[in-house]
Amino acid sequence: MDYQFKGYKRNDGRAGIRNHIGVICSVVCSSVVVKEIAERVPGSIPFTHGNGCAQLGDDFKLTKNMVAGISANPNLYSTLLVGLGCETNQISGLLESIPKVKPIEGIGIQQLAGGVNTIQKGVEITEQWAKEAAEQQRESLPLSCLNVGILTVDMDKDSYCQVAPVIGGVVDRLVEHGATVMMGLSQTLEPAGSALSERAVSEELKNNLQLIGESLQRKRWKDVHNDTLTQLGFTEKERELAVLEAEMTGTSLINSLLGYSETPTEKGLHLITVPSNIVEALSNMASSGCNLAIVVSSRGILAGSAAIPCMTIAPENQNEFFDELIDYKVTTESLSNQIEALLENIIEICSGKQTSLEKMELGEFSIPHVGTTF
Amino acid sequence: MKTFEGYRRTNGSIGVRNHVITINTVGELAGLTKKLAQMVPGVIPVAHQAGKAQYPEDLEQTIRTLKGTAGHPNVSAALFLGMGEDDPAEEIVEMLKEEGHHVHAITFQKDKTISEVLIEGKQWLEEALERSRSQQKESADITELIIGLECGGSDAWSGITANPAIGACSDSVVRDGGTSILAETTEAIGAEHILAGRAVDYEVREKFLKIVKDYEERIKETGEDIRSANPTPGNMAGGLTTLEEKSLGCIKKGGSSTLMEVIAYAEKPTKKGFVFMDTPGYDVESVAGLAAGGAQIVLFSTGKGSPTGSPIVPVIKIGTNPKLYEIMSEHIDVNAGKIIEGLNTIEEIGEEIYTKVMEAANGKLTAAEHHKNQEFAIWRLAQTM
Repeated sequence: MDYQFKGYKRNDGRAGIRNHIGVICSVVCSSVVVKEIAERVPGSIPFTHGNGCAQLGDDFKLTKNMVAGISANPNLYSTLLVGLGCETNQISGLLESIPKVKPIEGIGIQQLAGGVNTIQKGVEITEQWAKEAAEQQRESLPLSCLNVGILTVDMDKDSYCQVAPVIGGVVDRLVEHGATVMMGLSQTLEPAGSALSERAVSEELKNNLQLIGESLQRKRWKDVHNDTLTQLGFTEKERELAVLEAEMTGTSLINSLLGYSETPTEKGLHLITVPSNIVEALSNMASSGCNLAIVVSSRGILAGSAAIPCMTIAPENQNEFFDELIDYKVTTESLSNQIEALLENIIEICSGKQTSLEKMELGEFSIPHVGTTF
Repeated sequence: MKTFEGYRRTNGSIGVRNHVITINTVGELAGLTKKLAQMVPGVIPVAHQAGKAQYPEDLEQTIRTLKGTAGHPNVSAALFLGMGEDDPAEEIVEMLKEEGHHVHAITFQKDKTISEVLIEGKQWLEEALERSRSQQKESADITELIIGLECGGSDAWSGITANPAIGACSDSVVRDGGTSILAETTEAIGAEHILAGRAVDYEVREKFLKIVKDYEERIKETGEDIRSANPTPGNMAGGLTTLEEKSLGCIKKGGSSTLMEVIAYAEKPTKKGFVFMDTPGYDVESVAGLAAGGAQIVLFSTGKGSPTGSPIVPVIKIGTNPKLYEIMSEHIDVNAGKIIEGLNTIEEIGEEIYTKVMEAANGKLTAAEHHKNQEFAIWRLAQTM
């Protein structure tokens, strides 16, 4: 069967499944102005975060790359960057690093002599874009235009057993049809590094995944005389659950392991580094070009991404209290029927149907730190 | 003795504002925290992405900041949103209740629907807001006031006009028995010998030199030159050439008083007088630390024009040059540029700032409050797990 969804075709061959106007701050200092602009222009979405200044090295690069990455996300029709003026994360540098495939402009509070002027200018620009975006029509597009992220949150053994085969099946189907799938590699999946390494496309990736599977490695920089990389061992239980989680990656070859804000260079299955903070994880997926995130959880989550619809999937009868947040419940029906049903649901959402989190307007954006501020 | 009318809290502290806030313990709840505040006009959201998935030192600092923010004298009531069994919300609320604060925690424990939580939260906030409106002000004096000292978007005038004027105000506050906290450890680098020389005793001196040295070490470990982050591109456009120069200007905010104590980020001073808090130079994180440490008002000098404020404390902006005041007066409370024009002396602007402090303490809104600049971010010490 040839699957199609209705999306917005972009100039670079990618597709948008939403047509938002992004209003994005380069630094926390312009976040209030960003919120104000977005509040006044229907169709525009504010992207605010706490970073952007007094940062060094990799920590700064990550912030810059994630702001550039979210600006380039295909679900955004256009992007307005709003800066302060004196920050480390300069608007001019951002504009240089974002591919010119859609309308992008940058303004600054100091350059425009104050917040009031900046809000006025920002509203003018985004109102014009909102009109243009509203005129654009969805068209039928193949799944190969899609980029789907998968994130697991708070899963237990029973939940994995019920859900993993269905998700694994869907991932295989998406990859078969030429889509890009990015599976979140978080603290819970990392212990399965060795098992995943067997499907690595290259020797380098294989070694890398094996190393990741050995211990949890994160930077800490308070105790300055310590090694900056601290390693924490995994427990047997963590390893057992990780192997179950790994089933959700299906059976395809793994093409790459993407670091924060890296974009895949080819279609197919990839792993993407994500922190355990849900908002930071989804923001990273969005900054790496995902259209949609499938969030697999035993409970449903309370925050999605501001840029990409987050479809929540939970096992049946798990937690009725969060029912209103769950988009799809995995049942005891046959595996092939469920894979088909879930795919249909994904296509509906890609074609414009709102997710529960979108209806509740619980979209957020946040940038992780990999270094302290100065 | 300078006096003002404030809100007396059960634990004896005095607030210059009477805010009702919502605050989350984990990033996932930031959206709901804002949503709840929106449902009850007048409530201020303090949303952030810290909490959980953090190394212990980071989590400890986050919790100290959240507790200091919710238990701040400017806060009449605080509603915490938490998630799951090991969430710190209930524990923080218990501690704050013991100190007499009006606080409440709602923790998602898989026993309530979202709608139920929103209804419960909205009801609690409405009652808290009602309660805050019936609270009467009473007289307090300067000895009960803590001011924080901050700079952001500095230029070459900062160390010549606004910062020395803030220093003059700080000295007056200290002389009158109040407390003033200088922050931004990064911007003490290169000028640490001056502040160290004013330490009240050997221990304070050594503690101060240690936090500056630690900061320098952390910078070296990144393998980067601090000068690529500080001075920022804007600082340099404003005429600052080196971090040492920025630092020499920065510490002028501390006046000439004796350094009584050195405290950690978001920690409360135990001494009155002039104190130093270990914070990054990143102004929003630094102001959040000062506020969580109990500062009721923050003085903030700016040369390039920075609009940022705080969700819970009035931030008074002191512009360093006449041009800034001309083009961005909407964000500036005091024009220290008058010193350059020869219209006022540093001491006179210092007095003007002191007057603004007392006005703000009596309830007059600052420029940042007027524009609802309520930026908030917590200083992070390690990577997210």
